[in-house]
Amino acid sequence: MATADASRLEGLRNRGAALGGFNSVISLLLVAAAAALLVGSLRSSTFAQLTVEGLALGAVYGSLALALVLVYRASHIVNFAQGELAMATTYVAYQLIQWGLSYWEAFFATLGIAFVLGTVLEVVLIRPVLHRSAIAAVIVTVGLFILIDGVVTWIWGGDFKFMPPPFGTTIYHVGSVSIARLYLGILVVVLISVLLVWALFRFTKLGLGMRAAALRPAEAELVGIRVDRMLAIGWGLAAVLGAVAGLMAEPSQLLLEPTLMQPILVYAFAAAVLGGLESPAGAVVGGLVLGVSLTLIVQYVPAVTSELQLPFAFAVLLAVLLIKPSGLFGRRTVRRV
Amino acid sequence: MRHLPALGSLVAVAAVLAALPFLLSAYHVALAAQVGIFFIAVLGLNILTGYTGQISIGHGAFMAIGGYTTAVLSRDHHTNLVLTMVAAFAICFVFGVLVGLPALRLSGVYLALATFALAISVPQLPLKWSNFLGGRDGVQTATTPSHLWLYGAAWTASAILFVLAWLILRGRVGRAFRAVRDSEIAAVASGVELPLYKTLAFGISAAYAGVAGSLFVLATNGFAAPDEFAVVLSLELLIGAAVAGLGSLWGILVGAAFVALLPTVSSSVPVIGSAHGQDVVFGAAVVLVMLLIPDGFAGLLAQVRRFARA
Amino acid sequence: MAVNRRKLGALLGALLVTAVVASAAAASHTGTPGVSKNQIVIGGTFPLTGPASLYKTIPAAEQAYYAYVNAKGGVFHRKIVDNVLDDQYDPSQTVPQTQKLVEQDHVFAVVGSLGTAPILSTWNYLNKLKIPQVLVATGDAFWGNCVHHACQGGTKPWTLGWQPDYPGEAKLYAKYILQQNKSAKIGVIYQNDAYGKNYLAGLKTGLGGSANQIVDAESYNLGDSAQVIAAHLVALEKHGADTLVIFATPTATIQALAGRTAIGWNPLTIVNNVSANRLFELLAGQNGASLNGIISTAYLASPTTQANLPGMKLAKSIIHKYAPALDQSLAQGDGNIVYGLAVGWTFVDALQHAGKNLTRAGLMHALRNMKETNNPFVYPGMTVQTSKKRTFPMEQLKLEKWSGGAGGDWHTFGKIYSGLH
Repeated sequence: MATADASRLEGLRNRGAALGGFNSVISLLLVAAAAALLVGSLRSSTFAQLTVEGLALGAVYGSLALALVLVYRASHIVNFAQGELAMATTYVAYQLIQWGLSYWEAFFATLGIAFVLGTVLEVVLIRPVLHRSAIAAVIVTVGLFILIDGVVTWIWGGDFKFMPPPFGTTIYHVGSVSIARLYLGILVVVLISVLLVWALFRFTKLGLGMRAAALRPAEAELVGIRVDRMLAIGWGLAAVLGAVAGLMAEPSQLLLEPTLMQPILVYAFAAAVLGGLESPAGAVVGGLVLGVSLTLIVQYVPAVTSELQLPFAFAVLLAVLLIKPSGLFGRRTVRRV
Repeated sequence: MRHLPALGSLVAVAAVLAALPFLLSAYHVALAAQVGIFFIAVLGLNILTGYTGQISIGHGAFMAIGGYTTAVLSRDHHTNLVLTMVAAFAICFVFGVLVGLPALRLSGVYLALATFALAISVPQLPLKWSNFLGGRDGVQTATTPSHLWLYGAAWTASAILFVLAWLILRGRVGRAFRAVRDSEIAAVASGVELPLYKTLAFGISAAYAGVAGSLFVLATNGFAAPDEFAVVLSLELLIGAAVAGLGSLWGILVGAAFVALLPTVSSSVPVIGSAHGQDVVFGAAVVLVMLLIPDGFAGLLAQVRRFARA
Repeated sequence: MAVNRRKLGALLGALLVTAVVASAAAASHTGTPGVSKNQIVIGGTFPLTGPASLYKTIPAAEQAYYAYVNAKGGVFHRKIVDNVLDDQYDPSQTVPQTQKLVEQDHVFAVVGSLGTAPILSTWNYLNKLKIPQVLVATGDAFWGNCVHHACQGGTKPWTLGWQPDYPGEAKLYAKYILQQNKSAKIGVIYQNDAYGKNYLAGLKTGLGGSANQIVDAESYNLGDSAQVIAAHLVALEKHGADTLVIFATPTATIQALAGRTAIGWNPLTIVNNVSANRLFELLAGQNGASLNGIISTAYLASPTTQANLPGMKLAKSIIHKYAPALDQSLAQGDGNIVYGLAVGWTFVDALQHAGKNLTRAGLMHALRNMKETNNPFVYPGMTVQTSKKRTFPMEQLKLEKWSGGAGGDWHTFGKIYSGLH
């Protein structure tokens, strides 16, 4: 406990010092990057289009990455099944639409169902194991990764499903720049979701309870916070964010198939690590950075041919981690010996 | 595992292994060989994760490197298959050290995710250098061993590598590994050269995975292709290590058998059966096993021993 | 009573022994694995789960056809039992599953297995054991080229394809393009593996001296996002292509069709026939793709535009009776179902020609000397034919063009082209 105390104090103190300095460097870099994107977009319509597209895809990565971070903050494990859970909830939405609901009715119903699934998952499958062994809990999520894929393929088959495009197929033309309404829609939906989650944490008693439970569970229990319940809600919220990611990924890929979220999970991991696993803001920013970078690199760096994209992304990720092992926004835990 | 199981049980295991080919059909001998292959890989991963506490979800990548080493050497130079396995061991050791070096800067979940990245990226590489590495159509060895050869090679290699692991772990290196796992700070304070031992552990475990990869390709009729080394393979290795638990030879056997046999068996389950079976049954089994024995088979054995003693 | 009971017991015992001996005799009647007096056991490996599971309707349709044949008494009173096993398109699973079929299930033949890499991982093994590996579901040229020429260690006479192969198909597209526009500027998007590369090579061969009219060829990887596909299309358009050839798997094809419309590009578009299943184009249309005028090829009858053909009526009734879950798909034009029925038909036809005294060599002989002119599921007028010189069973294609917009269909035109491989 002393170590954790020390690191927190260290962290607080360091806000003004070296680590905090680092954070300001990062923030400056991000502002500079945003400025560069703006300039580029003004000069080239292709650049502008790709930037919007990259931001939209990045928003999807960021949403799933945020889900991963919420789970990590609550339980200190990585949920390997986060992407498959997102995919499964998207299929639930598909089914609801088949049964007659409109897209947005199905959307919100699915978010509710996702919340329930997430909490049930934590209570029934994770909590019993997490006390004994963290690695066992991680393996449970790996098992779920495989199981959920099998169940979805069983129920709905492996062929393609169509979902009505939530934002239509309109394309706006601003000068010589074509921007699909889809990308704007994705950005807006994800932004709203992230803001709502942030508001929950920042302004509500529940959110305060969840933060306390994540940071200092023993003390929180003492002041009457039901830590167990907070953890379950955390997982539920993560599942909701995952569902948002899935429901926004599907229209971007035009069709629904069981492999929908698999590449996205990979990018979400990268985004979460890039941003720092304990930092919700980092996850979202990491996602956006990753989305834009990948989209622009595919276009402007021909040496990175299609099969090198993924290795390239990870090479960059590794490079960042070597410089800042706890991610861009992560706080380095200093261990007092 | 630094304590060898009783000599009696070792002899019994050896006897059973020697007798199996005569008792089982060729198909089952091939399955038994698969268990041997995963035994080697899980053993290697155990050294890394169990003994130095570094989590890797990327050892499928080392299996790929080892497997392709064998395939390419055999295809181009008709190298003796056993020699290719030795080459795979050496090459993967080097790669393991290379990965272990930057890994020093990462810990816990960051390391796990970085190695996960490796598991995804490495199988993409044959698509890039498709002339040399066969692309999606794969690389075929010049000779294809029989089920019996495979079985013999897999279990002989298992035995050799098991003894090697035992020798490493009972000695100074093993003590250093355990010190690193238990407390890095204390280890450093006691003069353990952290970087050396952590990197060494990576190298050794990667080398083991490389040999397993060689055998894995040979078991696939000598055919190496990217689709064989998808991320799921690395996840299966991790599952195997978790099911094995820490510190028990029997655990490693059980863990290896679990991941080597269960997916194939899953497709024969009635009702769910082949049409839907594999993922559903295997996934459910993994979840159930972890819920029931979170400390793996080794933990279960320890519990049983305690119970028996009480 | 005791005496009677003893006699009864003896009688029963004698009957039992006779039954055992008789069934053993029946089982080993021909001595051929998988063939008994009343059964033929076959098997195949398919991606029933995993990334390529959209193809699992193929084995389902094949099994439906065998069920239909069995209901009519089977072939020479033998019912066909088809053990379909899942390999998830992963060669390291194909191998043990194939071994299981051979060594546990003792199958007579391995029929219909899907996927180039999976087949490549097992063809040495099956050919060495002289087990038929036939009617494989991939259009790679290996299966025809390696019968008399050694590939990867030896000839593969026991391996046989079925569908028209990819290079042959690509050559027809080349011919069509030059017919339509002698100075066409061709842009190609292809999958970065043997599947895509074989198609591209075939296209270049077909173009001959005009191969330099390919202004750009963009490769993509399986699993790339729709945005990456779109970026490739943008590049092709920038290179000035007025003809677009898509050599891709279904997901990428749908994304490419929708993508090119989204960027406002309307070139002459050609789609390979694996991706020309009506269901895929419908999906592309629902996503805004402009479909009218796109070109592909057909070698199967259409359950939608040719619904009145006796073959298509038969297909409908077979699926309705033996695989009702596929009813709706078939009604919408799912070509994979027709494919499965057609392959099943060819296999049963070969069994019939192989005769009552069924052996593996006999089956191969029948399959290598086929002259099927009446396969009801194949496009009317096309033949499934093999001979000593002709190792590709199907070498005919008809061009087809899409009309009717987003809810439209493929309509064939022109003549049947032959000799394509």
